[in-house]
Parts: sequence; structure tokens; C-alpha cells
Amino acid sequence: MLRAAFHILVKDTRLRVRDRSVWLFAFIVPLGLTFLFSSIFPDTDTIELTAGVVDLDGGEVAAGFVDGVVPSLVDAGVVTRASFEDEQQARAQVAEGAVDAVWVLPAGFSEAVLAGQDAQIDVLVTAGSSLPGELARGVAEAYARRIEQVGLALAVEGAVTAAAPSPQLVGAIGAAATEAEDLIRLSPRTSDVGEPLDPLSYLAAGMAAFFVFFVVPYGITGLLEERQLGTMPRLLAAPIVPGAIQLSKLLGAFLLGIISMTVLSVASHLLLGAEWGPPAGIAILIVALVLAAMAVMSLVAVFAHTAEQAGNYQAVVAIVLGLSGGVFFPIPGDAAVLRVVTSLSPHGWFLRGMNSLAASAQWSAVLPAAGAILLFGAVTAVPAVVLQRRRSTW
Amino acid sequence: MDAVLRCSGLRKAFGEIQAVADVSFDIAPGETYGLLGPNGAGKTTSISMIAGLLAPDAGEISVLGTRMTPRALSAKAAVGLVPQDLAIYPDLTGRENLHFFGRLQGMGSRQVQARTDEVLEVIGLSDRADDRAGEFSGGMKRRLNIGIGLLHHPKLLILDEPTVGVDPQSRNAILESVEALATEGLAVLYTTHYMEEAERLCRRIAIVDQGHVVAEGTRRDLIDLIAEQDVVRLKVAGDVQAAAAACAALPAVTSADAEDDEVVCLLDGAAGNLPALLGAVAAAEATVVGVAVREPDLEDVFLHLTGRALRD
Repeated sequence: MLRAAFHILVKDTRLRVRDRSVWLFAFIVPLGLTFLFSSIFPDTDTIELTAGVVDLDGGEVAAGFVDGVVPSLVDAGVVTRASFEDEQQARAQVAEGAVDAVWVLPAGFSEAVLAGQDAQIDVLVTAGSSLPGELARGVAEAYARRIEQVGLALAVEGAVTAAAPSPQLVGAIGAAATEAEDLIRLSPRTSDVGEPLDPLSYLAAGMAAFFVFFVVPYGITGLLEERQLGTMPRLLAAPIVPGAIQLSKLLGAFLLGIISMTVLSVASHLLLGAEWGPPAGIAILIVALVLAAMAVMSLVAVFAHTAEQAGNYQAVVAIVLGLSGGVFFPIPGDAAVLRVVTSLSPHGWFLRGMNSLAASAQWSAVLPAAGAILLFGAVTAVPAVVLQRRRSTW
Repeated sequence: MDAVLRCSGLRKAFGEIQAVADVSFDIAPGETYGLLGPNGAGKTTSISMIAGLLAPDAGEISVLGTRMTPRALSAKAAVGLVPQDLAIYPDLTGRENLHFFGRLQGMGSRQVQARTDEVLEVIGLSDRADDRAGEFSGGMKRRLNIGIGLLHHPKLLILDEPTVGVDPQSRNAILESVEALATEGLAVLYTTHYMEEAERLCRRIAIVDQGHVVAEGTRRDLIDLIAEQDVVRLKVAGDVQAAAAACAALPAVTSADAEDDEVVCLLDGAAGNLPALLGAVAAAEATVVGVAVREPDLEDVFLHLTGRALRD
């Protein structure tokens, strides 16, 4: 039985090698999309901003921003500071795209703050520099909120003492408002369970999981292809156990899935820097996911009469499960409904397992997720086997 | 001599449809045996049971004395199947197709390589062996299809309508190949709905209709069923059915059937009864525009036995 299954597997492999679409789905598209998406949506933990300040005010509160906030952002490695001779030059550089953003502190800024009045920091952003621009606005807004609170305190003191604010208090305002870390604190990327899988690795794992559901059907639909080619009668007439034909197709699907995910994990690590975690844990998750994909796609194939029809059904199921599993973007931890939705997809459990693995660095952390994936596979495999047996063998 | 294939009382139904109702025959070594019948007569279902693809509902099949079932591997090893539809991989070369099916038959790597070259020579594809089968002409694909069935030196070769959709030149090449195989001692089961193929190739023929073997024997045996009779074909303008009915009413006429614009009559002594036939057609208010008289063939036998033409 194994010998016959091996010969059929070798033949199928030869046919797959000549059918370039399988390589597209297995390796090129997922790796390409990972690279593409990681370029479009850069890691916000490593965003850098080239920016400068134009101080038209010259007062003490403005100095808190110019001499306190901005240098601390530079020290934190977030901002590369640019200098300008005047506002006109700053605007010109923004227009040219030479800098990402410029903070403009208007004349009368400090006076307005100390008087407890509205004060505003203008932020000039280079067109097309969306993420750095948002960061520049965020810094300005955070500083504005802080001095607003202090200004409120000053207004209260002024109302009580009916006197101008003391220099010590004004100095305290500047110091308090320049706690740069608070100003630029970025919330960590949250996953569905709030565990720290970095975005690139998440995307690479998501793409591999997504496309393995397109790769596995190349093996699963092999029986339909044999029927369509007219070769099934000849296979069944050969002196081999009929089960060898099914075994070869399942083996082909399994190996194709395993090879696809293994190559993608290694390639995304080497080429893109994705971190997949301890190999033992990854191996468990990959095997579980490939088995689940085989079961799901076998069930879908039972309802098709031709390989093309099966391919269409399987593509729809793969896309629905992939999207609901959050393969393209992490599901926020506080999104309860989405969390339930991801629980209905093996992709979602796979990514949870990846998160757990990244958080704990222990291979055993993947076991609950792997168990859920295998359960998903078992639930779909049973009806697939029952329905397949009811169908004619050829 | 012991039969290579022995079938007795085969029956197979698919739901309400009785595809094979009662089929029995046997084939000796070196004999080419024909199953002649129209499409849907039960030929392919019979072959599927004989090749071990389907289990019969009733009856028995033995190949070289071994009972054939879907799990009878030794019996299957003695059979070469050439299905009616092409059973080749278009993305593999001719050589790769042969090599794959040879390995599946249990042949060793060296053995299959040597035999592949031999078979490529026999089927005339040596010069195209390394081209993809998908690039072959229809006739070349048919020849490859037959070559795969021959590869493992089967004792029984089953050819299911091997010339369907083949150009006359390739068809003749296929028929010559089958004739050559029989002389090498191979037992051949040949199904067709082409009367002339059955007449040319087969020593014995079973006429199959609606799942039954309605007659069996050599060509002479079958034609003797309507022996001493002549076939008269009257080309008629007018109501062909009415003309056929009028002819059938004549005492000398054994049968008269309408076939397209012709009335096909089987009768004793065509020469003496021709005026009566022409008169009967005229009485049916039809006009005879052509007359042909000849000896009966298998087509006439089938028509006589079933009331239908082979091509129906």
C-alpha cells in the first residue's frame, strides 16, 4: 500500500512542480504580501520623525517645549531634530518634504497659558507623511493638555492671590510639561489576548496560515482531478489496494502544507526578520493547522463534482476563515465580539498560539491553541469521511 | 484450453437502472472476443466489473481461475485495461505516463524502463516519447492509452471502444495492433458499437442489448440466425413508417424496419419478392427512390434481434 501511495505521490509531485500556481500560493504570494504589508504598515514601535521647532513666542512655557520636550524626544531616538532660521524656511522644508513635521509655537503662547487662556501649537506636516505626522500631532496635543492643566492651576492661584504667578511656579510648569516619556508613550501593539507578538511576525504567521488553506487543496482535490482526467478507472484497475490512492492524496496535501509553512517561517525570518519563536512550539502549531486545513478542505471538496468547483468552494472558505481569524491584522484584546469570531477559525487559534509562544517562549504554551485547532479539524474530518464514503469511488 | 476470462450471470444495477441484467461468456488465450452493442447497452459496466472496478450484484468473474473483485490484486495484475475515455496525464510525457503506470503495476525500475521503450516502439511513439502527452494528436493519445494497458504483459487486455473519436488512419493502426496482439497469444476483450470492427477483429462476438447478451457466437453463427435470407434496403420518399408496416405485412418478409429514410427488409429470396415490396410501398402512398440488395451483416442481425439499429 505504501509503495503504491509513494509512486502516486511522486507522480503528483511531478505534476505540481509543473503547475506553477502551487508555488505562487505556497511561497511567493504569502512572502510577497508579508513584505508588502510590512512596508505599508511599518512597525509603530520604530517610527522615526524628522522634525523641528519654530519658537515665535520666546516665553518660558514655550521654552519648556523647545528646550525640554524636543531634546528628550531626540534623546529617546524618536525625533531627528531639524533647525530653521525662521518660520518661512521651516514651511519651505515641510513643503519640500525635507522634514516630516514642524511645531510652531505662536507669539503670545506663554502669556496665554499663564493667563489661563486658550493656547495652541501649530503642527505643519509633510504631505504623505501620515504616521510621522500623527506622531507630531500627538506630541503637541499631549503637551497642550498638560499645560492646560497647569494653566488651570495658575488661574486658580491668580484668582485666590490676585497676583502674577511666581517665577518658581512658572518654572515648575515648564518642568512638569517636559516629561517627554509620558508625552510619547505609545501603547504596545495588542493582540487578541494582549500578548506581544511583533507586527511583522504576526503578519508573516497570518499569511502562512492563510495561504496554507489554498495550498492543501492541491492535494485534497487530487481524487477529483483523477476522475476528471479519466485516470481513476486505470488506478483502480491496477493491482494496488484502493486505499493507497486516498492515502497518496492525503500525504501530498500534508507534505505540501508542511513544506509551505516551514519554508515561509524560515524565509520570513531570514529575509524579513520575523520572529516565530521556539521551533518545537511552531512545529506543533504548523502540524495542527495543516491537519485542520486538510479536514476542512476535504469536507468542502465532498460537495463539489469537479476540481474547479472544489477550488472555488475552498477559496471562499479559506478567505472567510482567514479574515475571521484575523490573519491580516491583530484583533484588539478588548474587542469581545471579534474574539469570539476568531475562536471559530483555526487561523485565529493559530495566531493565539503564536502569541502565547512569543509571550512565554515555552513550546508548551501552544498546546491549548493546538488542541483547539485539532478539535476544529476533527469536527470537520468526521463528516468529510462519512460523506466521502457515500460517494462513488470513481 | 482453460479460459483466461470466465464470466457467468453478471448483474449490476445503479438504483432503478439495471445496467447489466445477465451477461455470461468466456475468452480463451489468443482469442479476441467482441461485445457489440449500442451506447448504453451495458458494455462499459460489464468491463468495469471484469476489470475489478465494480463489484457485481450477482454472478462471478474469474481471471486465470482467480475470482475478480475490487480487492483481488493478483487477478488485477493479469488484466490490462484501456478505458473508453483517455486515461493519461497530459502534463506528463509519453514516457513518464508509461513509467508511472508500470511502477503501479509492480514493475521494477529497470524492467519498466526497458518495457517502456518496447511499448513506445509498438505504439509508434518513440520519437515523441519525451513530449508532453497533452501536445499529442488525438490518435497519438489513443495509442498511448492502449500502450499503457499493454505495458505489464497482461494475459487479458480489455479495450473499451478504443477507436471512438479517432481519425481513419489512426483507427486502422489501432485495429492492426489489436490483430497483432491476438497472434501473440493475448486474450482480448473488445467492446465496440462499430459492426465492421467486430467483424474484422473478433473470432466470437456477443451482441449485447439492454444489459443482456441476446446472441453469441462467431460471425457466421450470428449471421446464420438470419441465414438464407437477403437484406433489401428501400430508399423511400414519403411515410417511411407506413411503408415499413406495409412491407412487414408481406408473407415472405421476416422483418421490415424503418431506418431514417430507408425501409430495411429481411426476406427469403429478394429477387422473386422485389415487385411485391415495391407494390407494398406504393400502396402505402410512398415512392421507392432507390433499392439495394445484399447479404446480411451483423448490423442486420442486431436489427433483427432487437428491432433497433446499432447506432441508436
